[in-house]
Amino acid sequence: MDIPLFSYRSILTMLHGLGAGGGGLLALFAALFALLTMRTDGHPDATVERRSRNLRWLIVLAAVLVWGAVIGGTYIVFPPYRATPPEGLTDLTAYPRSLLTSNPETDWLHSFAMETKEHVPWIAAMLGTAAAFVATRYRSRILSDPTIHRMTSALLAICFALAAYAALLGTFVNKVAPLE
Amino acid sequence: MTMAGREPEGAIANGAALAASLAAGIGAFGLGLVVFLNELGVFEVPALYGPAGGVTGRTAAGVVIWLVAWVVLHSRWKDRRMESSGVFGLSLLLIALGVVLTFPPVWRLF
Repeated sequence: MDIPLFSYRSILTMLHGLGAGGGGLLALFAALFALLTMRTDGHPDATVERRSRNLRWLIVLAAVLVWGAVIGGTYIVFPPYRATPPEGLTDLTAYPRSLLTSNPETDWLHSFAMETKEHVPWIAAMLGTAAAFVATRYRSRILSDPTIHRMTSALLAICFALAAYAALLGTFVNKVAPLE
Repeated sequence: MTMAGREPEGAIANGAALAASLAAGIGAFGLGLVVFLNELGVFEVPALYGPAGGVTGRTAAGVVIWLVAWVVLHSRWKDRRMESSGVFGLSLLLIALGVVLTFPPVWRLF
């Protein structure tokens, strides 16, 4: 008898959490690190132009991945999470929300963690998009203009913090009530 | 939030960047407010996609607020050089308020 290593639903969860979410966090952190370490005070030269072009694509990639995690999480992963079990069912393993709320010790994972996760990542996606727009429009100025640099750094840093927070809560939820 | 009379050498029109950041702040606050009022029962945003429930309607409303604000601000500010600290400070404040309003413990205070 073949036992699949991963179910279809767990693959969707991994694509959402590890692929888009984890990839987005990596890209955000790399972009933020590059932005803070490659800042220049002088007029943009060819080197700065080249670096800012790479950085620009990295920030755009981060924003795309965050949007992928947000939309995939809301429209693909969330429906099976919140599905209502048939009446009288005692094994709630396949119904994560009901499984969490059935136990007072894990109820917070739905009433706080998942309720927070439903909305906060959308704010992160808006901030990531704003940063990607600024990086695309202002090009090397994101490294050479103090105001633009500060603004882009702050948008990315907040985006990273919110996305990381949501990812941490998602890890807790998935640990106790995974979609299988 | 005013146009500089004389721009320093090398100064660039930063209005588009400020419009993007303030629009993100307005979007964050708008989403937070929609979620907060929905949880308080002031109104109920209908679901955009039934299987995912009301979150789809609430977040779609937040995205619409964000995009409308961005289009309006961008069309007005894109060619302007503006004092940035006030607008960006307001953006950060709106983002913080938006995040706070999406926190379940805050809903339960009211």
